[in-house]
Amino acid sequence: MMNDYKKTRLVLVVLAATFALLAVAFSLDLFGRFTPPRPLPLVNPEFLKTETWRRSYKDLVEAKAPLDDFDCYACHEQGKKVVLKYDAKQQLVVPDEHSDIVMGHGTHGRNNNCFNCHNDENLLRLQPRDGRELKFEESTLLCGSCHGPTYRDWEAGMHGRTSGYWDRSLGPFKKQDCVNCHNPHSPKFPGRQPAPPPNYLREKRGATDPPHTSP
Amino acid sequence: MNRRGFLRSSAAFGLGAAALAASLKPLLELKDFTSMQKFLQKYYKEMTPADMAKVLDRITKETERQYGVRPHVRDLKPMDGVSFVYALNLTRCIGCRKCVHGCVAENNQSRTPEIQYIRVLKMPHGSLDIEKSDHDYDPEKVPEKGFFYMPVQCQQCTNPPCVKVCPVHATWQEADGITVIDYDWCIGCRYCMAACPYGARHFNFTKPSIPNDGLNPDMAYLGNRPRTMGVTEKCHFCVQRTRVGRYPACVEICPAGARKFGNILDPESEVSKILATKRVFIQLKEELGTHPRFFYYFDV
Repeated sequence: MMNDYKKTRLVLVVLAATFALLAVAFSLDLFGRFTPPRPLPLVNPEFLKTETWRRSYKDLVEAKAPLDDFDCYACHEQGKKVVLKYDAKQQLVVPDEHSDIVMGHGTHGRNNNCFNCHNDENLLRLQPRDGRELKFEESTLLCGSCHGPTYRDWEAGMHGRTSGYWDRSLGPFKKQDCVNCHNPHSPKFPGRQPAPPPNYLREKRGATDPPHTSP
Repeated sequence: MNRRGFLRSSAAFGLGAAALAASLKPLLELKDFTSMQKFLQKYYKEMTPADMAKVLDRITKETERQYGVRPHVRDLKPMDGVSFVYALNLTRCIGCRKCVHGCVAENNQSRTPEIQYIRVLKMPHGSLDIEKSDHDYDPEKVPEKGFFYMPVQCQQCTNPPCVKVCPVHATWQEADGITVIDYDWCIGCRYCMAACPYGARHFNFTKPSIPNDGLNPDMAYLGNRPRTMGVTEKCHFCVQRTRVGRYPACVEICPAGARKFGNILDPESEVSKILATKRVFIQLKEELGTHPRFFYYFDV
């Protein structure tokens, strides 16, 4: 009987002492406090923009932006044929006035005639090979006249950017024109700066750590 | 018991109680951790519309108090006759990581420590070995010659392992195929993270930090409402957008048009046509039988 009483008292004393020690430790902050991690830099808001890389003629007209680039007859003379110049390797010599144009459409430099796409008599018109004359707004049809499968995919929404509503009955849906993403003179995307890589919770994996097995 | 014994034991008791109270002091710092209303909240599937209205009101107030922004929180249910599918064109992806950050901004993910639903893997052409992929690439310009990029996020499995392991049914698959999480029901055991073969689930080890002006006020209960410390989160196909008919944020921001999203039950949708006509070559880790709703494909 006496023994049990002693045991109980011993347990109580040990418990009380433990709590007292813990209390002292907490009030003296012996374990330290949780310090929030240093804030990581926020991503450049440029990377959060949803705009397309380029603006089509249609967009420029809508935005009432200056259309100087499309005013061919500000410099060219009406009714006068444009003569193309070629170098010894049959490569087009791009005149200084058009130095912003990189002739990069197609491989092996074979697509080297401005009038494959532009109308040679009316520079304000585009000229697919089937004889139609197209306005700058209709450039998508020009692209589609050669790139048939891509045009088919684009019409179905499979190629190119789509935005707005996937459920067409609930709101507007927008497809971009070819030239909103591709430069018609050099359609392959140029390299772009990537957004910053992830910051890991711990420091980066060292050489000793096993490579992790899932993404 | 004599007088001395009584005094001695009551003094010991008092000291012990004070010590106990003091030793529990760190719990006081959890004051924002939960509220009585949240503690007594019912399971999502058992809530009546009136219960849900109260919960949404609580979330609105809590968010406004913490971030100074009054959010528009809704409980969006799956739409009838809709089954979502995602298709990603590996030929088009240029590895720019805009989707990663567009997603973070849309879904109110923690900026410090960083939680990102999308991880872009860089792999050499002619291989598809995820273990040899590079997550940390940071060249001047992408795409780099000889490499392709494969963004990985929640694959929205038709047979989701994460749902099976959850001991409290805090995560489940909805009728439109989206696997969602009730952040108020999650106990933070992280079993789902261990079960997920895609590394798609992320854990809030601390209270997520979101800049006040970076908070997206367009919220859904099962979607991008602010999370608390100690819960898991993952891509939910932007339920706050897709369940009102809009495209997810990653589709909206992809500058290369590599990401396609839609209703597979509609034969005219982009994804239906892609799965029917393109070279859809994988569901990631399809040998595991998870049957993702996320398809990777190539085109010419």
